[in-house]
Order: sequence, then structure tokens, then C-alpha cells
Amino acid sequence: MIATQLKYDLLMFFREIFYVVFSLLVPPATYIFLGQLFKESTYSGLSYADMATPSFVLLIAFTVIFFAFGFDQVASRSEGVEKRILLSPVSSKTLLISSVLKSIIITSFGFLFIHAIGFFLYDLSLKPVQLAVAYTLFLLLNAVMMTAASAVYSFFKNMKSALVFSIICFQVVMITGDFSFPVNMMPDFVQAAARANPMYHMNHLFIDVWNGQLAWNSSTWTAVSFLSFVFVGSCIILSLPGRKKV
Amino acid sequence: MNVVEVQNLHKSYGNRHVLKGIHFEAHAGEIIGVIGKNGAGKSTFLEIIMTLKSFDQGKVRLFGKNIEEAHGAALDELRRNISAVLQPTQFYKSLKVEELLRLFKAYYQSDVSIEQMIADFSLASHRKTYFEKLSGGWKQKVSLAIAFLSKPKLLILDEPTTGLDPHMRQTLWAYIQHYNQKAGGTVILTTHSMDEVERFCDKVMLIENGRTKQFDTVRRIIASGYQSMNDYYLQNVPSSEESVS
Ligand SMILES: Nc1ncnc2c1ncn2[C@@H]1O[C@H](COP(=O)(O)OP(=O)(O)OP(=O)(O)O)[C@@H](O)[C@H]1O
Ligand SMILES: [Mg+2]
Repeated sequence: MIATQLKYDLLMFFREIFYVVFSLLVPPATYIFLGQLFKESTYSGLSYADMATPSFVLLIAFTVIFFAFGFDQVASRSEGVEKRILLSPVSSKTLLISSVLKSIIITSFGFLFIHAIGFFLYDLSLKPVQLAVAYTLFLLLNAVMMTAASAVYSFFKNMKSALVFSIICFQVVMITGDFSFPVNMMPDFVQAAARANPMYHMNHLFIDVWNGQLAWNSSTWTAVSFLSFVFVGSCIILSLPGRKKV
Repeated sequence: MNVVEVQNLHKSYGNRHVLKGIHFEAHAGEIIGVIGKNGAGKSTFLEIIMTLKSFDQGKVRLFGKNIEEAHGAALDELRRNISAVLQPTQFYKSLKVEELLRLFKAYYQSDVSIEQMIADFSLASHRKTYFEKLSGGWKQKVSLAIAFLSKPKLLILDEPTTGLDPHMRQTLWAYIQHYNQKAGGTVILTTHSMDEVERFCDKVMLIENGRTKQFDTVRRIIASGYQSMNDYYLQNVPSSEESVS
């Protein structure tokens, strides 16, 4: 049953132009575009590809999980699809596993896609062990994002407000996540906002690990504890009783 | 054993008290119509016995099991025996008709043939159409075909014939009767067509003011001095203007 559900979940993802554009076209295009502008620059010893490759991989994961995983839950809740599915003898566990697998398959595809572009356009040198470690962390971060997305979107019943929220969220993450605009060149309040943005911490953690430069310094500890806090907080929100009452 | 047994059911949405004491029971093999004016609480009642909605007070038993005590696997097991059409019906909008049938066939682990369903419900011309692009009546047809994919013991239909053309209505009723007679399935449905109630239902429950106002066989109701069910409805249900409270 999982196989059937997963097949259709993937099919539905690729039929939703909005999801595909936002998650599989915009980030790679931005990655290529910025590369053309900055490929000669270096950032504290790292080349454009060293900085941007992990960032854009993570950005894809973010858009996939926030739109096709989180927002999608609100869409099916508000359109009454959830109710119809609930009525059939398919367990919510099956549905959850399928949508988790769907997200992981798509984000992993994003992982490969960005690496392939980097490899051909920006002479990315890939070290297998380092890549495997990075991919493991990537899966962990996926898990944190999925939990957080489920928690955040559990507050929405209405699709329009969820959509507005998602788009704002996407903007905020783009600006304060250190994805395309360097945060340390921005005004103080943006820098402060960045510290409160889980994606900013994930981004830095992931860049460090991907480059094999993870040092257990205070900013790493801050990132790890902040993300653990987000994860635990989301789990608590999700376990609160009474949210499903109709 | 009663397939459905409901005692003194109460349900509020916030401070809006919609159901104020419903008494109901369905025996195996019956076709029961639930009637009442718009907003009377028919859909609410059906969704409660479909195990979709919670309620505030009363007892609801399905196949002898108290639904408030059914969780997890036990609840899935109950749901496996029920098929339903909701009002309004929604499915994954970016799947095609045929794909939806396949997906739900997997849910119900049914051995019914998809080709058979497509033929029976004359869905062939739109089998490759996305659900969201279908007209209202076509959505209803798909929804009905899905309800008949499994061989449920209990079929709950919320205004199944609304939006269907006369041919489709006839097909649907033929299907319901066939299912009822061959498989002994129980059917509970709502409709605003008193003509359908009179022709096809064994019993009828009238919900008025949140309560079961009458629950009896169609034959007895008519015999008690009405020309038709329509006549009964008009005489017993005040029109909305008269009953503004
Ligand atoms: N989710 C909800 N939240 C709040 N109020 C609701 C909700 N669902 C239904 N109601 C209210 O409960 C009452 C009964 O609604 P219900 O849909 O059960 O009526 P109905 O008998 O099926 O009407 P109709 O013949 O129009 O389908 C209505 O007044 C409706 O406004
Ligand atoms: Mg209704």
C-alpha cells in the first residue's frame, strides 16, 4: 500500500507546477546565476562553489519540505481531502511514511542535482567520505525541518493564509538564512533576525560539515542547541492533545 | 445485531447546539433515508456515524462496538466495513479518475476490477481527466464509484443523487438496490427528494430542531394518512421563514 501511495504522492508533486518551480527550478537557477557573478570570489578561504553548493542543497530541502510537505497538509485539510482519506482504511502512519519518503526522495534528488551542476560548471571536487557525512547530516536536517513544518502548519486551517505565510517565510529565509545575500553585510536588525532563523543555523552547520571544517566552537554549539530546541518544541506542539477535534 | 445504534446523541459546534437528542437504529439490510431541512444536522449526524466527527453526549454503536472506545487498529477495522459519500466530495485534485480508483482500491485492498467500475458507472470518457477538472455531477459519480469499490457492510451516502442527471440517478439507485439485495448491505442516506425516499427507502428518520421527530417505515407513515412522502414532509416540516428562532 505504501508503494502505491508513494507513487501517487510523487506523481502529484510533479504535477503541481507551483511546487516544482519553487523547489526544483528556482534554487538551481539561482545557484547557476549567482555563480556566473561570483565564481571568482572567495569567502574566508572558501570558493563560491564551496559556500553555495551546500547552501542551495539545503534551500531545495527547505522549499520541498515547507511547500510540498507542510503546506500540502494544509491544502488537503482545507479542501476536505484529508477527511475523505481519513474515512478509508488507510492508516495515518502509512500516509505519513509515504509523504516523508516522498520528501526525502525529492530533496535527495535536489542534493544530486545541485552537486551535478557544481561538478560540471564550477569544478567541484567531491570527496566520497565527506559527501557521505554531509548527506547523513542532510537527512537529519530534513527530519528537523519536517517536524518543524508539521508543527507550524498544524496551526493553519485555511489555505490562503497558509500560502501567504509560506511565501513570507520563503522571503525571510532567503534574506536571513545566508543563502544568497551575505548576512554579515546587512543591518544589525537583519543579523539579529538571522540568529533566530533556524535555517541560518542549519545552513552554517551544513556548510561546515560539507567542507569538512566543522569545529566545535561556540557558534556550532549555539546552532546545535538552537536546532535541538526547535525540534523538541515542534514535537511538543505536535503532541498537544485536542488539536484534531472537529 | 444492530448495524448502527444511536441513543440520545448531542453535538454542538461552539455554542451552537445542532443535535439535541437523536435516536436511531439500523438493522442489517435496511435502506434508511434521513430527511430534514437545510441545516437540520443531517450531514453532521452522518459524519458522526462515519466516525469522522466527535460528539458531546450520547452513545453510538457500530456493529455492536462503542465508537468512543475504538482507536487505532480497531477504528481502522470499523472503517473498513463502511463506505461513504461525503457532502461535498473532495479527492486529490491532481490525480486522474482512473488513478483515484486505483489508489482507493489499494486502500480497501479490494478485488473489484477497475475496468468493471469504469464500465458500471460510465466513467470511460473521463478516465484520464483530473479530478479538479470534472463537473460537479461527475465528481459525484467518481465518488460513488469509489464508495462501491469495497464491499462494505454499511454504506453511508450524503445526498448521493444531488447533481446527477436522471440516467445517473437511475444507475445509482439500481446499484444501491443491487448491493442491498445481493450483499445484504445496509444503506443510510440523506436526500431532499421525497420521491426517492418513497420509492427506495424502507424507513425514514425526520430530524427537526435537532431531535428525531419521527423514525418509522415509509409504509406506515403513508398509511397514517398522507398521499405521499412529499405531502408528509410539507405538512410536518415548517418552512424556514415560519421557524426563525
Ligand atoms: N464545521 C462546522 N462548524 C460550525 N458549524 C457547523 C459546521 N458544520 C455544520 N455546522 C452547522 O451545523 C448545522 C447543521 O449542518 P449540517 O451540514 O449537518 O446540515 P444538513 O442537514 O446536512 O444541511 P443540508 O441539507 O443543507 O446539507 C448548520 O447550522 C451548520 O451551519
Ligand atoms: Mg448536508
